[in-house]
Amino acid sequence: MDREETVRLRAVRRLYGTAAHTVRALDGVTASFHAGTLTAIMGPSGSGKSTLLHCAAGLDRPTGGTVAIDGTDLGSLSENGLTLLRRERVGFVFQAFNLVSALTAEQNVALPLRLAGRAAPSGLVRAALAEVGLADRAGHRPSGLSGGEQQRVAIARALITRPAVVFADEPTGQLDTRVSRQILGMLRGLVDDRGQTMIMVTHDPVTASYADRVLFLADGRVVDELTGTVTAEIVAARMAVLEAAPC
Amino acid sequence: MLTFATLRERWPSFAGGFVVLFLGMAMVSMSVLALASAGARVPERLAGTPVFVSVPMAERGDGDFAPDRPWSPETVASLRERLDAIPGVAQAVPDRTFYAQPVIGGRPVAGDRGYAWSAAMLAPYPLTAGAAPREGEVALDRSLGLAPGERVSVLTVHGPVTYPVSGTVDGPGVYLNDAEAARLSAGVRAIGLVTEPGADVAAVAAAARAVAGGVVLTGEGRGALETREDERTRWIGLQVLTAMAALSAFVSVLVVGSTFAVGVAQRRREFGLLRAVGATPRQVRRMVYGEALAVGVTATAGGVAAGALLGPVLGDLLVTVGFQPPGFAVRWSPLPLAGSFAVGVVVTLAGVWSASRRAARVRPLEALREAEVDDRPMPRGRWIAGVACCALGLAAAAGAGRSDGSDAFVVSGLVAAMGVIAGLALLSPAVVPPVARLVSWPLARGRGATGMLVRENALTAVRRTAATATPVLITVGCAVLITGMVQTTAAAFAEVRATTIRADAVIVPDGTPGLTDAAASAAGAESSLFSGLFEPDGGVLSAIGATPELLERAGDVQMVSGSLDALRSEDRVLVAQWLAEDRGLRPGSTLPVSFEDGTSATPTVAGVVREADADVLLSRELLRRHDPVALAEEAYVAGAAGPPGPGARVMDVPTYAAEADAEEDRLVWIATVLLVVVSTAYAGVAIVNTMAMSAAGRVRDLAVLRLSGATVRQVLATVAAESVLVVLLGGGLGLVVALPALLGMRRAFATAMRADVPLVVPWPLILGVIAACLALAACAAVLAARPAVRRAAPAGAAETRWRRGPRSG
Ligand SMILES: Nc1ncnc2c1ncn2[C@@H]1O[C@H](COP(=O)(O)OP(=O)(O)O)[C@@H](O)[C@H]1O
Ligand SMILES: [Mg+2]
Repeated sequence: MDREETVRLRAVRRLYGTAAHTVRALDGVTASFHAGTLTAIMGPSGSGKSTLLHCAAGLDRPTGGTVAIDGTDLGSLSENGLTLLRRERVGFVFQAFNLVSALTAEQNVALPLRLAGRAAPSGLVRAALAEVGLADRAGHRPSGLSGGEQQRVAIARALITRPAVVFADEPTGQLDTRVSRQILGMLRGLVDDRGQTMIMVTHDPVTASYADRVLFLADGRVVDELTGTVTAEIVAARMAVLEAAPC
Repeated sequence: MLTFATLRERWPSFAGGFVVLFLGMAMVSMSVLALASAGARVPERLAGTPVFVSVPMAERGDGDFAPDRPWSPETVASLRERLDAIPGVAQAVPDRTFYAQPVIGGRPVAGDRGYAWSAAMLAPYPLTAGAAPREGEVALDRSLGLAPGERVSVLTVHGPVTYPVSGTVDGPGVYLNDAEAARLSAGVRAIGLVTEPGADVAAVAAAARAVAGGVVLTGEGRGALETREDERTRWIGLQVLTAMAALSAFVSVLVVGSTFAVGVAQRRREFGLLRAVGATPRQVRRMVYGEALAVGVTATAGGVAAGALLGPVLGDLLVTVGFQPPGFAVRWSPLPLAGSFAVGVVVTLAGVWSASRRAARVRPLEALREAEVDDRPMPRGRWIAGVACCALGLAAAAGAGRSDGSDAFVVSGLVAAMGVIAGLALLSPAVVPPVARLVSWPLARGRGATGMLVRENALTAVRRTAATATPVLITVGCAVLITGMVQTTAAAFAEVRATTIRADAVIVPDGTPGLTDAAASAAGAESSLFSGLFEPDGGVLSAIGATPELLERAGDVQMVSGSLDALRSEDRVLVAQWLAEDRGLRPGSTLPVSFEDGTSATPTVAGVVREADADVLLSRELLRRHDPVALAEEAYVAGAAGPPGPGARVMDVPTYAAEADAEEDRLVWIATVLLVVVSTAYAGVAIVNTMAMSAAGRVRDLAVLRLSGATVRQVLATVAAESVLVVLLGGGLGLVVALPALLGMRRAFATAMRADVPLVVPWPLILGVIAACLALAACAAVLAARPAVRRAAPAGAAETRWRRGPRSG
């Protein structure tokens, strides 16, 4: 595959804590994510998966190294510039608390457009909701939606600005198996049909099996990578090795 | 879109800010309307006369109500002649007023003003029955119910006089024949120009201006003719209204600020989410401002409307209480209402300023936080401000404690307590928890779960504890301080009077503004008269006319030179030391002055006194001759006192000492209580607000309590007890801060007055304030927690509910 790089991390480090006691959440991560691919990031709990995602998405600034999205170096952007980049080029789906509780599903989806001061034509927003199968739920508030429906609204919102890349942190972590499958199938479909670039954190081998590529993290470093045919069994086997390793 | 959606979703968390703004702006708009209506008004009894010529009016300082120097009788005569000659003037009428109070059924009636008959045409008040009064007759207000031919007893400055009623008029007052009125009246200060029908008022006014010797007043300018008492009443009302409006606006800023601060703290995750999906800090800040403005504008609009509706009620109230002169009415005008509205918007923006900055600083990652923990330390600015306030307060306290009573120790005491109260309020998140730990220590020793829970809850929810305790601290601290100071001051003066009056009894006015000469000399009583002397340059000196015996007995006059016996002579006066030094007066110097009746004299200075209640002391007879209107405030009786006649009564000295200045004290006290009640109301809103807003954050804790076996009743008892603990804590801190300041002030007073001043604190009022806070806090806490506790009911809640009755929590 010779596709362009959408997200590139080079020697990214992220330290937490005081001088006396530092945690190396990321310890020199270099990775590229190509357009139109779905990458899963896996690793034991505390290995730095979320931190990697936050740094790559411009939600957090790395202590060292560089991150570039669509060729733009995030380190060179001001706080405002970073916000605008997130608004225009990046979409997010978090594990939970994805929606503003005061707004309806439709309003939540339109939020990034409105924040950008752009028109949010009702047709466009409803089409986005229809794409995730929620055409009939546009007027509901999050409190009236199931967990799976809330995640689907979040996905519709992440896609509404046609971002270069969508980041998802355990998007199905709080859902039951059946709903998880539906949502993962939908994400896979977006990558295949639209060529959407997507990076997804998970610790579940079955979830990872939907990806084109799996990166394995341990102690803040990329320790392994799977490409080609990714099955839950292979992923689980690799994970078992990682989790058995002494920290 | 988001603003209104958020308001709809989260209205309970904005309710506190809304209520306070509504109340505050109703208060502000009412006060501002009243203030705008409180200008000098043309007295009704002069309203029918288009042009007045008045004596030149001296520029006076704020709160100085010294009268202007009247014309001399000769000037009045010559002015009248020249004004009468102006074409279009039907008659130039000198406005003569004097003391005249009819006694009906043995009681003096409410009105106490007498006028020359010719002044009745200034209103005009035409006769409704009978004829104009001739010498020895009286015409009076029809509403008194007397008919021509009947006889009426009227109190004049000399004593009761019985007059036949010649006629009645349709306006207030007692009217005597002009010649008789002139003998009873003070000097003339205004002449009304009654014009002929169809006369050109502007031309008359211009011609009057050409007649030197006075100021011409027309139209609304005639408001300057109101009485000094009305002017003083309005001035007091102005102070009270301004204080109310300022307090309301100030408290509104604070409560709006804390409402939005708590709201923002509770919504950090939402702001983080917005930041993550692309909201800039500026957009977040604007959003918070938008929410505040939506709440602020509606609350302010409602408050201003309510204020406008209630304005007339406030007007009546002010007149009843005595903060505005009779006849005052609140008038609607758009400008004060628009101004109040603007104040509300500014107050909202000021209140939300800090919260909006905090919201804008929320980082996008906070969207991902699992729990909403509020672990931010106290901002540095708050530390600095709090410590600075405390330091200022303590410095002032040190100053007040060292005071020997000569300097402004009252101000120092006030600054001391206010400083420490404000400082403690600012530092409350740091100060309250350790104190709470200390105070609630006994609770941890008990065996019951409730005590332990109460203590731990109060200690861990630092912000809630501080937010509840602080308004109580401020209210109780200020209430104790201000009411205690007012009452202690009054007690101090009473004490001083009681020790200095050397008499067996005192005759005081009863339903009258003062004592007539007859009442003041009943049973050999002695009295002094208080009046003003006018210096040639227009300055006013206060003067007391008294006998040497009386001053001797009152005991508070200390001679520097000369003797009190000088007051037996008609042309000699004693002057206060400051006046002697200022004007270079020595015994033998002369002091050219004119009197209340407009006549002039040049008495000789016979001595200098150190401490006197007036600038000049002179003989009572001399003063009476030149001031036919002054009434004695009290008269002292040696030995047994007989009945003093109508409009006066006899009191023993201790009672009198305690009651003197009652009217002044009453106004001050009403204003004080009003202030305390208003601030308690605001504290109440702040407490309820905190409780309602923190309820959401407690749902999980309460549910856990329920699931671990607590009954609904036990949980609610815990919640109520916790709020009681916190309120008591705030109240206790308030007392601890205010009482030492009061005690210091009392000591300084005692030193200054060389008297044993008692410390008076109106405990019922203070306890009422604390009780109100307690009740509000407990009810609000329970009501706010109840839905959550019910919802969190584990399976079998129904049984629990059934079994709840006889058990105690
Ligand atoms: N805000 C933070 N402050 C301090 N340490 C943190 C913070 N966020 C994450 N860490 C630490 O960094 C490491 C990686 O965390 P994270 O990226 O959340 O791991 P994962 O998502 O793989 O479970 C962990 O040891 C975690 O404790
Ligand atoms: Mg994680």
